[in-house]
Amino acid sequence: MTRPYRWPNRWAVLLWAGLAVIGGLVALPFWFVLTGSVKAPQEIIARVPTLFPQSFTTQHYDKLLAASDYAAYMANSVIVAVASTVLTLLLAIPAGYAFFRLTFRGRDALYRVILLAYAFPSIVVLVPLFAMFARWGLIDSLLALVLVNTAFALPFAIWMLRAFFAQIPPEIEEAARMDGGPPLTILRRILLPLIAPGVGAVAVFAFVTSWTEYVFASVMILSDARRTVPVGFSGIIGQYQVDWGLLLAGASLAILPVVVVFALIGRWFVSGLTEGAVK
Amino acid sequence: MRQGTLGIFLIAPALALLAAVLAWPLMSAIILSFQDVRVVGSVGPFVGWANYAKVLADPVFWNAAWLSLVWVAANAALQTVLALAAALILHQKFPGVRIARTWIILSWIVPTVVVVMIWRWLFSTSGGVVNPGLIGLGVIDRPMGFFATPWMAFAMLVLINSWRWFPFITLMMLAGLTRIPTDLIEAARVDGAGPWKRFTRITWPLLAPTLTVLLVIGTLLSFNVFDVIWLMTSGGPAGGTRTLPVLIFETAFRGYRISEAATIAVLATALLMAFAIFATRKLALSGDER
Repeated sequence: MTRPYRWPNRWAVLLWAGLAVIGGLVALPFWFVLTGSVKAPQEIIARVPTLFPQSFTTQHYDKLLAASDYAAYMANSVIVAVASTVLTLLLAIPAGYAFFRLTFRGRDALYRVILLAYAFPSIVVLVPLFAMFARWGLIDSLLALVLVNTAFALPFAIWMLRAFFAQIPPEIEEAARMDGGPPLTILRRILLPLIAPGVGAVAVFAFVTSWTEYVFASVMILSDARRTVPVGFSGIIGQYQVDWGLLLAGASLAILPVVVVFALIGRWFVSGLTEGAVK
Repeated sequence: MRQGTLGIFLIAPALALLAAVLAWPLMSAIILSFQDVRVVGSVGPFVGWANYAKVLADPVFWNAAWLSLVWVAANAALQTVLALAAALILHQKFPGVRIARTWIILSWIVPTVVVVMIWRWLFSTSGGVVNPGLIGLGVIDRPMGFFATPWMAFAMLVLINSWRWFPFITLMMLAGLTRIPTDLIEAARVDGAGPWKRFTRITWPLLAPTLTVLLVIGTLLSFNVFDVIWLMTSGGPAGGTRTLPVLIFETAFRGYRISEAATIAVLATALLMAFAIFATRKLALSGDER
């Protein structure tokens, strides 16, 4: 019989105090943004900031959507993020499997080289990539962003999926192979369902990487109608300097989609990081 | 089909994309650093090591390199301390721990532009939250410019960047904590060791390898940070937040000296690669001993 361990009181106090500090640090800025976006202008610039809104208005959202192409930015960002996520999975699942299961010459060296992708400033490739995409006619196209975002999510995705494949007991795969299925069928029918949490984790990572990307999108996209949220929003910030209500509304809308995605499959990402990828 | 052939076949698409978008441009950057190109896409003559001589003699480069070093050290330290505290708390059992573990990552999933906007607003001198709050509490009597001096701006950026990244490190640290066998902790508890003793004698030594790995990862991640700095201060005031990535961007897209930017980039990459290879070697060795 196990009785749940009771923390001495002072430690329990410390635990809850620490939790409150960390929770406040993470959540309070977002709380001020979300509530601020529905406050009346006078309340936003009130001398004493209000923790709970005393007024309610949607005027900032109305103005934002009327005065800018925000809806188009959102659509572009969603298109790029979903496409990047799908492409990352299509490329990373086979690669992660091969890096783990199949033996071939130069495998380990190749794996290490791929992980070096995070060891140089991404800004280094910006200039040559711009010249290359210009030759390919990819400047001002969303496809360029999909390619860049996928490339930056891939090494992490391969690393994480390889770790998930490593956790599948070899007997399961052996049994399937005895039944005579071709390797790719085994991968799709038997292994893929087993690493579903890993796939979820990688999907979240790829989506977030794409949704938050600013630098490449700001250089590769020229026309206003094709801008993603980060680039479009930074333009709005420059234009509406201290119209805080409008900016808070824009910030809230930019947060919304990732929060939705995260609410749906975020726990997979968390368990993928904390339990799955055991180095 | 032989395993080798199948392996290549499965990896080739991913490799092709990485080669086109990362490896090839990296090579181009190296070639550019030996030429004299000013505007993107134009062709320039071969100039040997001239760009390197010029960059290495430029105090602006050394200043940026120094700032990058301080930036990396400050961020790695702050992130790790915050993450360790958060991980130790989230490792406990309490009602709502699953929700807390999931949503701690909130600051990392939000676009950097939004992060910058939020903090600029919170610390704004016109409205905002912190200045009115401090005035209301009587700490200061008029709004204070948190980004006015180079060192203030630098410290604020460290705070913002660490705020954005510490949850990610927290989750990876939780992974290290969950790997510590619970029976060890249990045994110590039966022997009468209090929470502090259990932490210093068991958790800390067993977590040390994870901490080292995360310090390396944190270093790489911090070094490459560009967008938060650029969007918040554009490297100012007075170049006080111009780290190497900012200097590279500025030289290429504001100064139109592409080759010089490529040279700085190659030097920065060499530095970081050397660190990464050195660190992974070290880690691989200590990993074998475990």
